[in-house]
Amino acid sequence: MDRRKIDIAMTSIFVIASVIILTNDNLSQGGVQTDLGSMFLPRLVALCIIVISATIGIQSILQLSRGEALTSEDRINTEGFDGVWIYVGNFVLYWFAVPYVGFLVATPIAMMVIAILLGGRNWVPIISMSLITPFAVFYLCREFLRVFLPTWSL
Amino acid sequence: MFDNILNGFASIFAVGPILGIIVGVVVGLVFGAIPGISGIMAIAIILPLTFYVDPIIGITMLLAVYKSSIYGGSISAILINTPGAAASFLTAMDGNPLAKSGKAGKALDLSLYSSVTGEMLATLVLIFVAAPISIISLQAGPIEKVFLLLFAFTVVGSLAGKSISRGLLSCCLGMIFAMVGLSTITGASRFTFGSLELMSGFTFTPMLIGVLVMPEVISTIRKRLTPHHEMALKKSPNPADNRISWREYRSLLPTIIKASGIGTFIGALPGLGSSTAAFISYGEAKRVSKTPEKFGKGSLEGIASAESANNAVCGSSMIPMLTLSIPGDDVAALLMGAFLIHGLTPGPMIFFDNAEVIYAIFAGFLLTDFFLLFIARSGFRLWIKVASLKRYFIFPCVTVFAFVGAFTANQNMNDVLMLILFTIFGYGMRLVGLNPAVFIIGFILTPFLEQNLDQSIAIVGTDYHLFFASPFSWVFTALAAFFVYSTIKMKKKEAAKLAALIGDGAK
Repeated sequence: MDRRKIDIAMTSIFVIASVIILTNDNLSQGGVQTDLGSMFLPRLVALCIIVISATIGIQSILQLSRGEALTSEDRINTEGFDGVWIYVGNFVLYWFAVPYVGFLVATPIAMMVIAILLGGRNWVPIISMSLITPFAVFYLCREFLRVFLPTWSL
Repeated sequence: MFDNILNGFASIFAVGPILGIIVGVVVGLVFGAIPGISGIMAIAIILPLTFYVDPIIGITMLLAVYKSSIYGGSISAILINTPGAAASFLTAMDGNPLAKSGKAGKALDLSLYSSVTGEMLATLVLIFVAAPISIISLQAGPIEKVFLLLFAFTVVGSLAGKSISRGLLSCCLGMIFAMVGLSTITGASRFTFGSLELMSGFTFTPMLIGVLVMPEVISTIRKRLTPHHEMALKKSPNPADNRISWREYRSLLPTIIKASGIGTFIGALPGLGSSTAAFISYGEAKRVSKTPEKFGKGSLEGIASAESANNAVCGSSMIPMLTLSIPGDDVAALLMGAFLIHGLTPGPMIFFDNAEVIYAIFAGFLLTDFFLLFIARSGFRLWIKVASLKRYFIFPCVTVFAFVGAFTANQNMNDVLMLILFTIFGYGMRLVGLNPAVFIIGFILTPFLEQNLDQSIAIVGTDYHLFFASPFSWVFTALAAFFVYSTIKMKKKEAAKLAALIGDGAK
């Protein structure tokens, strides 16, 4: 993947967001009146973001328009991304499931999915780890930290 | 001051703090030794556990994790040529050839003794220098602090990023994220878009774990097909190869002291970090060595200089944080967050408002070195075994700890969602060359900047020229300009060198 193209997209988003911060008065509500006002610093930072983003974006546009060859720094390696999506998807499902099925049910499944994703095939130790760790964490959090992790609520 | 130091030692010699240090050293050693897991990950995961204990126990435990993880990085560097931390790269260069020639015990011993010596010297400098500097920095009013913070933003942003513009952009993004929620000055709600959850801003722990820790897990997931390296400690039949003798240590002491000095100095400057310290002191040790040709092929001087310098940074990186409220690197930023969570505001006043706690932490810092020496020395084989655990045992646990850490902050599932979103954000930042550590520094320092800026405006009114009436303002502006200029020059030089190398390769 060409990082210069990503740079242009990223800096465009930052510039648009910064322009919104600079021009929209509804982003701050309420509060007392001070010499600086609530939006002084956000707008100052937004201005800096516009300048810096423009520097990065324009450089990338110039490089692309000149047809410069991709250097190793400009190339984003996308190898292994399928695993990343699976991991993130698993994490989202885990987050979604915990309030309903509880920490003790959802965690072993999530742990096993990650272990399998990482190439684990030693079933007995993986299953033992996936069962013991959540129980240990649940107990330690409840007894020592007074943190009550979600339980089954269906 | 000596009374404070003694009181500090009195506070630290209790069951709680000592247990905290032992746990911290063990966790740091294990996490540091596992390739792909850094000390920062260990600190971020342990951080939520410290919310529920006394600040002295919590902070000393985190500092013990920090110190021992830096040393832990050298174990995998020496044994399998895979540095657990970036700063151990040079240790791998000299330590691994020694391990291959059957002198792994000698290399590990030397690395441990150099690390502990470097850390202790830097800690002593921290103890004796921090308080006097804080007295000077107490003279600074809001106007001076504004310039100091602007200087910190510029220096950290320009030095830490892949390029100056990307570093500064990371810092600005952190600043914008810090301004979400209720303004502490005016009470106005900013960037909340009517969401009640955003009123209190982004919770620090999920953001921290998401931006700094989880991207490392994702990196490992991406590299899941690369083979796992098993670590093993082979003993040589010659006992002299398995340890470092007092004579050898004494002959290396000048190198260790010099490297510790370099590490302490570099660590006290914001933005440079332990890798820079290790490279500079390694270069210096090679320059003055009688046997420079041995460097990179198993030189004891090489290991001693690299290890003592990168460990010396641990202590001295606390100097700008504790005296000026400027975290110099990612770990210092994380520790600053921990201090704030525990109700201790880093800055000159900490030596007056929380003298007992801060000197107890200093004493804990020194005590950590003894425990590190003892624990690491007593169980090389055990640490190596633990650190050789397959990644499919480690990373599922890291994910669960991250989940629990994020949940613990407010006992709220929204924080876990924040963790997931910041994980994607943090990894995206790495992909496009933005610096997550600078982002966190921007996030932490912005409330201080806003508060001081507001006070400054109240002082100067409409006489804006008063902003530049103090010599501090000029000094910090000049220093910021100098740092940016020298960074541009340094980066241009590096680019020219790289181009020349590519040119030579093409020929």
